[in-house]
Amino acid sequence: MRILLVEDELRLAENIAAALREVGFAVDHAADGENGSHFAEQNVYDAIVLDLMLPAKSGQRVLQDLRRKKLHSPVMILTAQEGKESIIDLLNAGADDYLSKPFDLGELIARIKALIRRSKGVATPILKISDIELNAVHQTVHRQGNAIDLSPTEYRILEYLIHRPRAIVSKQELLEHLYDFDWEHHSNVIEAHVSNLRRKLNLAGTEPLIETLRHRGYRLRQGEDAG
Amino acid sequence: MTRLASMTRRLILTVLFLELLSAVALVLAITIHERHTQLAAFDAQLQGTAQSLMGAVQDAEDESDSVILEPRGLNLDKHAVFQVDEAGRVLGAAGVLPAEIKPVQEPTIRQARVGKKLYRFYSFQGLRIIDPGKPDGGVRHTVSIAYGLPVEHIWHEIAEATRFFVIATIALLGMTAVIMTWRIRKGLQPIRELAQEAEQISATNWNFNAPISARNTQELQPLAAALESAMNRLQRSFEQQRRFTSDAAHELKTDVAIIKSSLQLLSMKKRTVEEYSQGLGASFEDLARLETTVQRMLTLARLEQPTEASSGSCLLRNVVEDAAYQSKAFAEIKDIAVTTQLATNSFVPIDSRDALLLCSNLIVNAIQHSDEHSIVIITLKAQEDNVHFIVEDEGEGIAEEDLAHIFHPFYRGDPSRSRKKGGTGLGLSICKAICDRANGSIAISNRPSGGARVLVVLPLFHPSPLPVSASIKH
Repeated sequence: MRILLVEDELRLAENIAAALREVGFAVDHAADGENGSHFAEQNVYDAIVLDLMLPAKSGQRVLQDLRRKKLHSPVMILTAQEGKESIIDLLNAGADDYLSKPFDLGELIARIKALIRRSKGVATPILKISDIELNAVHQTVHRQGNAIDLSPTEYRILEYLIHRPRAIVSKQELLEHLYDFDWEHHSNVIEAHVSNLRRKLNLAGTEPLIETLRHRGYRLRQGEDAG
Repeated sequence: MTRLASMTRRLILTVLFLELLSAVALVLAITIHERHTQLAAFDAQLQGTAQSLMGAVQDAEDESDSVILEPRGLNLDKHAVFQVDEAGRVLGAAGVLPAEIKPVQEPTIRQARVGKKLYRFYSFQGLRIIDPGKPDGGVRHTVSIAYGLPVEHIWHEIAEATRFFVIATIALLGMTAVIMTWRIRKGLQPIRELAQEAEQISATNWNFNAPISARNTQELQPLAAALESAMNRLQRSFEQQRRFTSDAAHELKTDVAIIKSSLQLLSMKKRTVEEYSQGLGASFEDLARLETTVQRMLTLARLEQPTEASSGSCLLRNVVEDAAYQSKAFAEIKDIAVTTQLATNSFVPIDSRDALLLCSNLIVNAIQHSDEHSIVIITLKAQEDNVHFIVEDEGEGIAEEDLAHIFHPFYRGDPSRSRKKGGTGLGLSICKAICDRANGSIAISNRPSGGARVLVVLPLFHPSPLPVSASIKH
């Protein structure tokens, strides 16, 4: 999952970005509203963390422009301002959640995860498809009750695919959502990770869970008991 | 519990008291006047009757040409006491004449007791000439007459008249009291309306418009105007305070958020000793910034306290040199030349600690906003009774719209309060507070050639200020 962080306070941005990366998010950072708007318009972010007091362009305006352009990434507002009115205005303007500074990093991460889940139509952190169970909190994967040991990237690919059942996910899309700009990425890196993931998930005598559609991408096959 | 003093009550009581005084005086005057008229009428009556008694002295139609009193045909009061005599010979009498009433030459009126009753007597001597047509001129008889009537009923009448006036006065007093109370209540209505309007004021609602009734009342107009302007001033300073609090909260929260996130990031998982020490180092740096912010807020709060009578003094030239020296290292990083022209050895009424804060704040500020390889010029000169301290830089200057707010706490000329250039946004506020405290001034303008120019004007320090003038300063 890829997150855009728009925050002008550099030390705070560093800390938030580091924490989000540690739990497996790809993070891009914009230090002012203008840049934040540009980044967000690429529409590759699974969530946006937005400070309100920004140079060049205020957080409110970034949010309004985003929603006016029909971009639906969930937005988490960070605010150090007092007063409920502005929060009501923000939620009405299309914000999805907010946290007041000083906030708890753990809470911020949990809320971002919840925002992403909900935006993808899932209500609990435990995702099930076929006989696979993915716990987004503990970042564990089980198939038919057996724990499967995945690398962080493999886990993220699986998590992304589970969020988009039946859809064909291109390599480009996977790249965009799994890596931030700091990453030197190549599509064959994805291929290698996907093939590893497929091998680890495979049980003898079953159809492979991840289909490869030539020149189009990957698709997670859904069993009859999918939920 | 003490009773509240009531203006209405006091007014009414005063007016009633004055009315009462004049009423008493009036009744007194009326009584005196009444007595006078009554007595005058009474005396006229006495006199008239006595004269008619004289008329009733007639020729006795005898040889000796003597006279007799013929009272028939006279309508005499039955209580009347009189005596008519001629040279000791009583011609006629009624009742017993008191001893002190003696016939006298001049007509007199005297009072005397007859029995228990008080009588008023008119006594006089008259000449009665019998047969005045005769050649010898007739016979002259000198007749003395004393005639008295009881005077009691006059007093009764006077009392009656007085009573009537007293009752009328009391009725009038009562009526005026009622009317006055009503009128005064009505007259004081604007005060009540003003109070009602003032009642509406609260921390959230500063709207105070004096009611028209108060504005159109001569006595209330100054009060209404004073209230209005006081409210406006209060509202402004309240707003300022509120903005300061909210800005300060924003600032502190951001600083705390950074420290908290640094520590939480560190504690998210087990880390190596190196990572821990790095994280701690970063946290200390974050903490130092919070400390600076708090320190500056406290400094500002201290400076905004009312001044103590003696706040010290310093030689500004030395302080400026110190400040310039301290900022040297910072200036060298950006290769900025700091030139000083210090042309005065004047003392200013600021203690050296605050003066150093003022000077170094302004110099560091100038360096911060200067481009590399530029010049910062510091000038110190005496001008009349003041010292001028000027700091000029060649930086980007100040945007027009920021000039008005530049001394407001936390104002950075940027809505985000970006801290890229460092500082807490309190530096200039602190400078202004120091200048204000010393009865000086500070102003920022843009130089025509580009860059900003800060002008600080401070009064000269007078070594032995009179203690009286020092205490008046508050």
